[in-house]
Amino acid sequence: MKLRIFYVSISVSIFLIFWETFYYFFIRDPFLLAPPSKVIPTFVKLITLQDPSFKMPVDIVFSLYHYALGFSSALIIGISLGLLMGFSRTLENLLSPIVELIRPIPPIAWIPISILLLKLTHTAAGFIIFIGSFFPILLNTRHGVASVEKKFVEVALTLGASRFEILRKVIIPASMPSIFTGIRVGSGVAWMCVVAAELFGVSAYGLGYQIEIARLYHAPEIVISYMVCIGLVGYALDNVYKFLASRFLRWRRGLVVE
Amino acid sequence: MSSEVLRVSNLRKRFNDLLVIDSISFSIKSGEFFCILGPSGCGKTTLLRIIAGFEDYEGEVLLKGEKIKKPGPDRVLVFQDYALFPWRTVIGNVLFGIESKLQKREALKVAEEMLKLVGLEGFEKSYPHELSGGMKQRVALARALVCDPAILLMDEPLSALDAQTRMEMQAELVKIWQRTKKTIVYVTHSIEEAVFLADRILVLSKRPARAKALVEVKLERPRNRFDAKFTEISQKIYDLLKD
Ligand SMILES: Nc1ncnc2c1ncn2[C@@H]1O[C@H](COP(=O)(O)OP(=O)(O)OP(=O)(O)O)[C@@H](O)[C@H]1O
Ligand SMILES: [Mg+2]
Repeated sequence: MKLRIFYVSISVSIFLIFWETFYYFFIRDPFLLAPPSKVIPTFVKLITLQDPSFKMPVDIVFSLYHYALGFSSALIIGISLGLLMGFSRTLENLLSPIVELIRPIPPIAWIPISILLLKLTHTAAGFIIFIGSFFPILLNTRHGVASVEKKFVEVALTLGASRFEILRKVIIPASMPSIFTGIRVGSGVAWMCVVAAELFGVSAYGLGYQIEIARLYHAPEIVISYMVCIGLVGYALDNVYKFLASRFLRWRRGLVVE
Repeated sequence: MSSEVLRVSNLRKRFNDLLVIDSISFSIKSGEFFCILGPSGCGKTTLLRIIAGFEDYEGEVLLKGEKIKKPGPDRVLVFQDYALFPWRTVIGNVLFGIESKLQKREALKVAEEMLKLVGLEGFEKSYPHELSGGMKQRVALARALVCDPAILLMDEPLSALDAQTRMEMQAELVKIWQRTKKTIVYVTHSIEEAVFLADRILVLSKRPARAKALVEVKLERPRNRFDAKFTEISQKIYDLLKD
């Protein structure tokens, strides 16, 4: 642990020094870029609500709201549909052509239609985030179900399990590692989509929205502060799922090298 | 005179064009330890899977007079590679077949008694990957036994173990069989194992499997592998398999 802190501080320091020197040697224009010596105080000011026009904590709340809106629906629909598609041949054959056709469309390409249809609302942002995170969750769940070893299903059958019990007691737990992979990948994409969706001004708050406003103000130190904030929140979110996965997948310890 | 549990008559099985089992008939009595012995690849697993209800077939396979059509807990199959659920603890694995049929406390009591019977007290909360091969096989056995099947089907359950553990497990299996009075159908390709365990041994030919002989082993238990009678029967089966 101590060693880890040591490495983190070394690598962050090197990066900051590099950035600072780069600014003073090549840019030297406060309207184009800001050095860390300016970004760090700005970030502290923003996060402690000391700026009159940029309220970072409020923006975090709004972005998390958009994220929750889109990501939770992607979770519910993606996991259930993935389970059903993995479980039933017919449904798989019926749905996979649609999935394969829609999946390659980038979430960002959905923004115009989403705004036309849902106007500039939180739901419009949620929809973009849903599109982005739905497919990784669906595909990983389906893959998990498809790769459940046949022998586990046979053991359950010989022990007298019903079809529903097989789903609940074999298919779902056996697919859990794969589902969690889908959740983590999906959450990452969802968080990227939050920024993209908010850029278009679906609401007057949100990290993605403010980053664009700050650009219009020609305030790179605020833009970068928001970038840092987006990175930190995304990192925290991923760690939440990592923690949940390690709790739920305790049985995998000793089976795989993490 | 014990009653008949399983009757197999004129059983045939093909996979596409490959004939695997060619008209086999035998019947198994209640409480019997019945071994199926045959060379590698002759169709032993297939025969056991048919009884378990996993494969379709031609001919007749009757459990207590009823035709076998699908798998069920009256004929539990114990797999060669244990097939324990890695996401369940030892006790969780043993509970699998009874947790939805019994009340929680009763199911737990039955499972714990069974773990005691197979000698795994104190390992309830361990996960399968924390167990040795012999212990995993015990869990698989306990998981099958709690379902109280009419027949316990075992497919070379000890073949992955080292010689020492294997002999210990054979002796223990006989004890468990004597205590639970279960009917066991046990597939093996080891002559010595069959003679040590079985009341009767069905000797199969090379593929397609035909019944070569049905050998009765009338030796007192616990059996001694170095006994003259033991080696005599082994020799007889060896000669049978050879030609
Ligand atoms: N699902 C299947 N489809 C096609 N052929 C199969 C299938 N299952 C088994 N076979 C074939 O049937 C034959 C008998 O297989 P089986 O597994 O029953 O043999 P076995 O006696 O159990 O062999 P071993 O001692 O190696 O376990 C083999 O030739 C095998 O290739
Ligand atoms: Mg086999």
